[in-house]
Amino acid sequence: MSDVLSAIAVELRDISKRFPGVIANHDVDLTVRRGTVHAIVGENGAGKSTLMKTLYGMHQPDTGSISINGNQLEMRSPSDAIDAGVGMVHQHFMLADNLTVLENIILGSEPAHRGVIDLRSARSRLNELMVSVGTELDLDTEVSELGVGERQRVEILKVLFRGAQILILDEPTAVLVPDEVDELFETLKRLVADGATVIFISHKLDEVLQVSDDITVMRQGTTVAQTTPAQIDRSGLAELMVGSELPSPAGRTSTISDAVRLDVRDLSVPGPEGRPAVESASFTVRAGEIVGVAGVEGNGQFELCTAIVGLRSSSGSVIVDGNDLTHANTRERHRAGLAYIPFDRQREGLMLNAPLWENTLLGREHEESLSKGPFIDGAAARSSAVTIIERFGVLTPNETVPAFALSGGNQQKLVVGRNLVTEPSVLIAAHPTRGIDVGAQAAVWDEIRQARDSGMAVLLVSADLEELIGLSDSLLVMFDGRITARLDPDSITPSELGTHMTGTHREVAS
Amino acid sequence: MSGVLSLTRMPTSGPRRLLVLGVGLLGIMSVVRLVTGYDDLTSSGTIGAALRLTVPILLAGLAGLWAERVGILNIGIEGMMILGTWFGAFGAWKFGPWIGLLLAVVGGMLGGAIHAVATIRFNIDQVISGVVMNLLALYGMRYLSELAFDGVPQGGISQSPPQRGAIPRIDAPFLSGGWSTPDILGWFEERGWFLIGDLAGIVRGLTTNLSLASLLAVLLVPASAWVLWRTTFGLRLRSSGESPESAESLGVDVIRIRYLGLLISGGFAGLGGGFLAIVSSSYYRQGQTAGRGFIGLATMIFGNWRPSGVLGGAAVFGYSEGLKLVAGGSVTGLFLFIAIVASLVLVASVVARRSRRGVTALITTGVAMLAYLTVDEVPESLTQSLPYVVTLVVLATASQRLRPPARAGVPYRPGGSH
Repeated sequence: MSDVLSAIAVELRDISKRFPGVIANHDVDLTVRRGTVHAIVGENGAGKSTLMKTLYGMHQPDTGSISINGNQLEMRSPSDAIDAGVGMVHQHFMLADNLTVLENIILGSEPAHRGVIDLRSARSRLNELMVSVGTELDLDTEVSELGVGERQRVEILKVLFRGAQILILDEPTAVLVPDEVDELFETLKRLVADGATVIFISHKLDEVLQVSDDITVMRQGTTVAQTTPAQIDRSGLAELMVGSELPSPAGRTSTISDAVRLDVRDLSVPGPEGRPAVESASFTVRAGEIVGVAGVEGNGQFELCTAIVGLRSSSGSVIVDGNDLTHANTRERHRAGLAYIPFDRQREGLMLNAPLWENTLLGREHEESLSKGPFIDGAAARSSAVTIIERFGVLTPNETVPAFALSGGNQQKLVVGRNLVTEPSVLIAAHPTRGIDVGAQAAVWDEIRQARDSGMAVLLVSADLEELIGLSDSLLVMFDGRITARLDPDSITPSELGTHMTGTHREVAS
Repeated sequence: MSGVLSLTRMPTSGPRRLLVLGVGLLGIMSVVRLVTGYDDLTSSGTIGAALRLTVPILLAGLAGLWAERVGILNIGIEGMMILGTWFGAFGAWKFGPWIGLLLAVVGGMLGGAIHAVATIRFNIDQVISGVVMNLLALYGMRYLSELAFDGVPQGGISQSPPQRGAIPRIDAPFLSGGWSTPDILGWFEERGWFLIGDLAGIVRGLTTNLSLASLLAVLLVPASAWVLWRTTFGLRLRSSGESPESAESLGVDVIRIRYLGLLISGGFAGLGGGFLAIVSSSYYRQGQTAGRGFIGLATMIFGNWRPSGVLGGAAVFGYSEGLKLVAGGSVTGLFLFIAIVASLVLVASVVARRSRRGVTALITTGVAMLAYLTVDEVPESLTQSLPYVVTLVVLATASQRLRPPARAGVPYRPGGSH
């Protein structure tokens, strides 16, 4: 490496990468200045992650060149990237749950004498590192006991421990709550001030504008523009991303009828250590109504939804279209017209290794049109899958590819489609647009609105306050397992909602 | 009474807790011995036999542990042990017992290598490959016996000729009369005092007529723990079983380490087989392993995938089998012991309001007590099953949270993480 550090940390020229049947990247040019936060924005499937994997040596580009600090390099494996000072924080954390924080961080670069790990030096180096980054973690805790934000800090420490000066963060904020996002940005600023370079992949435009120095926009596998937050605003950026006007959740006309479709009475769910996870929740959702549930994650929303669909035992009653389902199991509830878009599409919503058509069949095996006696009607199931794929705009070569091959947004569209195609009377939608790009988000919003207009009742749980305010006809706030406020979305701002969610308004509401 | 206290108010730190538990259990056993008069419950003869029976199961358990820690199920341990018995006996017959043990390890590693190529290179289902390994070893060794042992004096298609010489056995000096020193522990054991007599019997059993191969095997427990938790190789090996994608993303060669892990696993299984052929007996016999490979897998689960836990599980097995062998009649005494321990667990569960464990303990207490009061002489066929019954009971009452390696049994393709 030359003595004089180049002002350009990373330079990619004419990168192309094709996978069987897909051109993931073509003609990509990227220039990242040293000591800056450089955001790469684009819809899901625009090729951001593929590009970063190329830079990190996880696969090799078909054409093009990579230069780090002015030296042209060939990245044959992540080890090459690590040697060149490039580190990556993956979107899906690469951590071993049953190993300790310390073990996860030092793995592969263990300080050691003749193969024996030097725990003392590992500890002291890590303690120094944590001080310099301004974070604190118990090194002997197992990662399985950590929350999402802490796991991400482990990932960042892992990268820094290897001496990385160039950090790639793939959608780091997708899994974080607002406080953790602020903490992350603080950390990033500290790192950049110390001379590191951060490449930050995101599709959350506000964050990008807030934190980055430079912005590169990607669309359909290639880089389409480079700009700075000073030169562009949110809508301009969104236009560059999708190539069209930004969709918005707003624009509501009331379609609420008097018929109560979902009636939840006095629902309580026992939690750990004797404290209830949900305490006496009562509410109704009428036909054509969207009721939003706001709340900081972990205040009982998950327990509430899973109790309503019968995945978790609870007291109180659940009535759908006048049928008391309190003692019904999940399948009976499902057949009675209760559909559920789960919190985590990969864990609860999809069989990742199964083809799409089997995934769209989940929960619908009993439908007469899809079965022949005790057997599945394969042809009918496939054509039903094709219908869902077309109607909900799932981008995929065909219905036989495994679900893991789809991007997050397309996976979500498939889950939403599967639930809406049966025309349920009640939809429990948990984070229906989490982690998906603006285009897919608009599609999902449209579908939910259309279903609502045709008389479906929707219970919407979301961490996206604009989505909640924009879509909902009325809002419930959950705090500490209880419904602490009922608000009118037309007369509330995100910041007011925020004070309710953090419990500041608690006394007033009860 | 002190037993109840020790169970309900257990010190939280590991070693002290184990010490309290050990002394408590020994105390109960001592009471049972004095009440029933079955001196063999803790005699050095029983313990010595228990150790010899523990070792092969221990090695099989460690073989399972090494394989699952690296991320691959090894149902084929039984087969690798069969390879160990055959190669061990062959080596001991041709070249002497030490070379025999070495060849046993090599034979087991051969089995490990086959399993590795099948599951890692060709992605064959790990359970199927293991089952095939068991069958292949059984009939393959029968075939090799036909070639190597048939027609040789005392050899045959299902049996090898006896070995030359044996692995040396030692008595510890000053404790158990080694090097013509006084047999102090023997004196204490004969007095049969409460607790002291039992302790003397146990230590004497472990230090009298001790085969160097047993010593080696027991030392492999801390050695395994040290390698797995203190070396870079061990950390990388465990990471391959917990999250191979993470390991790969940090530059660990997962494929290579999986091959090595299975070779080590096979080596342990082979050594276990070699022990059976060379130390427990003096020749190879078809069917010698008698399912110990599978029991080893059970002790691995019982031991929560930790070397010390595997040792504990194997010891439970070895002890009940040893007791059966040395003094079949004493087995009724063991029923009383189980009844007392289970009743203490019951009390502790009631105090801690752990209803499920309490019910298990209640049933165990009842059945064991009934067995003690009604059964005068345990039929041979039932004593055979005793080790399995004991293991079932222990597994049922152990409240410990079991935690297998997260990715054991899941095939891995490098670069497969999207």
